[in-house]
Amino acid sequence: MIAAANIAPLFIVISLGGAFLISLLEKRMKHFPYAMGLIVTGMLLILSLAAVKAVGLYRILIYNVGSWKPPLGITLVIDGFSAFMLVTVNLIAFLIAIYSGPYMERYTSKGKFFALFLLMVAGMNGVVITGDIFNLFVFLEIASIASFALVAFGTGRHELEASFKYTLMSAVGSLFILLGIGLLYSFTSTLNMADIACALLQKGKSNISLMVAVMFIMGFGLKAALVPFHGWLPDAHPSAPAPISAMLSGVLIKSLGVYTLCRLFFNVLGMDAKFSAVLMFLGALSMTVGVFSAIGQWDFKRLLAYHSISQIGYVFLGIGLGTPLGILGGLFHLFNHSVFKSLLFLNSGAVEYAAKTRDLRKMGGLAQKMPVTGATALVASMSIAGIPPLNGFWSKLIIIVALVDAGRFGYAFLAVLVSIMTLASFAKVMKYAFGGEFNTNLGDIKEVPGLMRLSMTILAAICVIGGILGFAGAREIFLGKAGGVLQEGINHSLMILGGIK
Amino acid sequence: MDNFWQLLLLDNLSIFIGLFAVLFTLLTAVYSFDFMRGRKNIFPYYLYILLTLIASLGVIFSSNLLVLIVFWGFLGLLLYLLISFGENKNTPATAKKALIIIGGSDAIMLLGLAMVWKITGTLEISKIKIALDSNTAIAAYLCLACGAFAKAGLMPFHTWIPDTAQDAPAPVTAYLPASLDKLLGIYLLCRLSLNLFIMNPAMNTLLMVMGSITIVAAVMMALVQHDLKRLLGYHAVSQVGYMVLGIGTGTALGIAAGLFHMLNHAIYKSCLFFSAGNVEQKAGTTDLDKLGGYAKFMPVTFITFLIASLAISGIPPFNGFASKWMIYQAIVDSAKTGNTLWMIYLAAAMFGSALTLASFMKLINAVFLGQPADKTNASIKQGEAPLPMLAVGIVLAALCVLFGVFAYQLPLKNYIIPSVGPGLVFPGVWNSPLATILLLSAIIIGLLFYWLGVNKKPRETRNFIGGEILEDHPQMRVSGTEFYNTISDAPPFKNIYRLAEEKNFDLYESGKKIVFWLNGILNRMHNGIISNYLAWCLLGMIILFYALSIK
Repeated sequence: MIAAANIAPLFIVISLGGAFLISLLEKRMKHFPYAMGLIVTGMLLILSLAAVKAVGLYRILIYNVGSWKPPLGITLVIDGFSAFMLVTVNLIAFLIAIYSGPYMERYTSKGKFFALFLLMVAGMNGVVITGDIFNLFVFLEIASIASFALVAFGTGRHELEASFKYTLMSAVGSLFILLGIGLLYSFTSTLNMADIACALLQKGKSNISLMVAVMFIMGFGLKAALVPFHGWLPDAHPSAPAPISAMLSGVLIKSLGVYTLCRLFFNVLGMDAKFSAVLMFLGALSMTVGVFSAIGQWDFKRLLAYHSISQIGYVFLGIGLGTPLGILGGLFHLFNHSVFKSLLFLNSGAVEYAAKTRDLRKMGGLAQKMPVTGATALVASMSIAGIPPLNGFWSKLIIIVALVDAGRFGYAFLAVLVSIMTLASFAKVMKYAFGGEFNTNLGDIKEVPGLMRLSMTILAAICVIGGILGFAGAREIFLGKAGGVLQEGINHSLMILGGIK
Repeated sequence: MDNFWQLLLLDNLSIFIGLFAVLFTLLTAVYSFDFMRGRKNIFPYYLYILLTLIASLGVIFSSNLLVLIVFWGFLGLLLYLLISFGENKNTPATAKKALIIIGGSDAIMLLGLAMVWKITGTLEISKIKIALDSNTAIAAYLCLACGAFAKAGLMPFHTWIPDTAQDAPAPVTAYLPASLDKLLGIYLLCRLSLNLFIMNPAMNTLLMVMGSITIVAAVMMALVQHDLKRLLGYHAVSQVGYMVLGIGTGTALGIAAGLFHMLNHAIYKSCLFFSAGNVEQKAGTTDLDKLGGYAKFMPVTFITFLIASLAISGIPPFNGFASKWMIYQAIVDSAKTGNTLWMIYLAAAMFGSALTLASFMKLINAVFLGQPADKTNASIKQGEAPLPMLAVGIVLAALCVLFGVFAYQLPLKNYIIPSVGPGLVFPGVWNSPLATILLLSAIIIGLLFYWLGVNKKPRETRNFIGGEILEDHPQMRVSGTEFYNTISDAPPFKNIYRLAEEKNFDLYESGKKIVFWLNGILNRMHNGIISNYLAWCLLGMIILFYALSIK
């Protein structure tokens, strides 16, 4: 075992430990939860950057928990794809933690908030690095349950209703995932993902794997809010406190949904033309339904939530295509979407914080009173709309080029159409919220506190410089390795298996 | 260092366009200095102007199609930000509309870029040469041309220009839709038609038809406008038709004519917008019914506006005539190469030119001549605009005259013909300096006869209508704009104008209707009832299972 692999359990231990300490000590020290939240997410960010570096050196890091040999024990695996997701999750979590401090002053219990927040982060990190399919399910549930509680954090009527819907639908999805895992276990007699892949390869195609595939698409697709499994999202994401909306839309649906689906389909079940067609179709459907639902919304956060559905569609369209360029574009878009969508939710939170409303019709001219929020919202809006030279442009460009290159003109055209609609709906946001004359009904409005501004500014800066990730050097280190994992497909699992034994 | 030069596309065409982009930026900056004085937050304004110049130069000189499109897309954002400096009530809506149309066409260009990449495997402009022989190639050309059309404002992508003209600050309109966006749009169209693609007759016909429709339809809309800047905005659309018509002929002469007209248009149209800005600043309005008699207060502005109006209407010896004359020649010339519809194009171009003159007569009468709208109102600030603002107008008006009188010696020889390359033959004869001398001498002789003949003191009287002296009745007024209502009330046009006023021909508005119809359906589906959502999940699973299980 490589010594660097010892960082793998830290991702889970630190975040779980942080959550535990906060619940223990929140009553004693007033600022402890915030400080702990910052320290933990900051450490996780540094660790995940170290993981990228280590993956660059060793390709795959494998850690056997308790030194139990697989397939009996649980393995933690960090490869290019995991490292990429770790950076995405922990970067966004860190920046949102910065923002949450001042924002959550309005709520009563900061301690519970940060404890649940870290629990959710622990769940997401766990999902991303585990090599064991049942372990994956456990972490998935940890993250989900923490997010149910966080959506209901305001304990108002709407929050509770949204959380109830979310809990119910998510539970249905989880049950199907569990059923799928059970079927796979009965078929292959192992829970180690690499081992399952190997066993499936030996047994050949069967109806069981087909059944499992359908259940996984439904279950994980529900977590990723793919149409038609997306019903919970437009209610749940707007109801949560803004930093949590940003976490949910920015990284939760991606680590629990997109990552898991890709990991299981590419590296375990094995991608074929049919799966590829299904994923692309669902992606295109989500893209279209999401954007056309979004454009008429007047609730700022609800509009953003529908756009999450739409942008996840782009990610699936790119990754589902399966060509190197498509996977690259899809992953790049995943990262970019994390950045600009979190930023947009933080912007909406800042507006709500200052103007006490989420209704776009009641806003107006906010850019004059809140210049930082206005400017960062402009950057994020233009980024999601694909205006060059911001990061969203590059990933959309890569996806479109990949689609045309593969001869999928219809999907390429749809991607362009959805991009135009996205631009239109964010032009609407900019017009009603930030443009024009200041709406004097809003009363005295001040820009949000410094730490919130700092967090938004950093995210906006990433949107601006994020485009360079599309260029050779940075792409190879960060995206190339992750894309490589998906392209290797089943062989990647065989390689992991080789590393274990 | 060699690598750096490879990133640039330096040929006569790009140098010519780049030179004038810098010139117009300078003029705009000088003009804005006084026009935008006293507004808050003025630093970003100049920053955006500067960034616009940099991005435009990036578009013009980049040798890589991707780099070109990146700068191009960035320009759309800058346009949005600059329009937002307007202070009208409708400005945010206009800025949004411009952003969506320009940004949308940029997104379509990406599709074109991807297709070019698929066909050739390279994005180096110098290495691309695609024959329009497959559907992909045709689609690629059209997608890329969409961007050029929207930027330049060819119908049906034009609708952002009249709105922008009305709601953006005058220097912004003079800078972007009137001059720089035309330079860039036509530059891209030229690059596409000359370098990237090998044109075929069908595509040329399409361009010429679109150009002809734009000329006539936009000028018809211009005739009935009641706002000074909006009227000018429609002319900015109409003139694009000439440029596209010229380029659509596909001959060296036609492309040179299109480029020349683009240059001339940028000069006189920005002059018109700058002059309109002078009037707006004094009058506080651009509504034609509230203006009138400004020639007395602002003689210099009047003269610059007059020269530019005559130029745009194609009156010799100004520059607009020189380029229109070239376009007519190119159209007639193209009949030799099997262009059977040349009569129609020629008629559209000439008809458009006549209507342009008609609508400028209306403008000049309503704004500068005629009577002041409100004679009792003493609030009209008397006096001319500040000197730098006037100077900009004078420079541009002087260019109108110079490029007209010395059409061949100055612009054609130095800029246009080297851009197109050799093989340019002028079938028609037009010796501009000679014609100018003849014209001037005709006018002088006319004046001599006038003075000699009417030596006696003529009888002078005040204006009257129906025996009533006009000046005694302030409510009675002839602004001249009503004359043009006869056109919009004439039977065949009445319905068309009504439909146009209801924005039925506006791609943006029609698109909006469809989108919101779809949105309504989807909103009704997302009714928040959880059993529905779960039913979708079940249905989705059944379909998935079926889709995956069929062989």
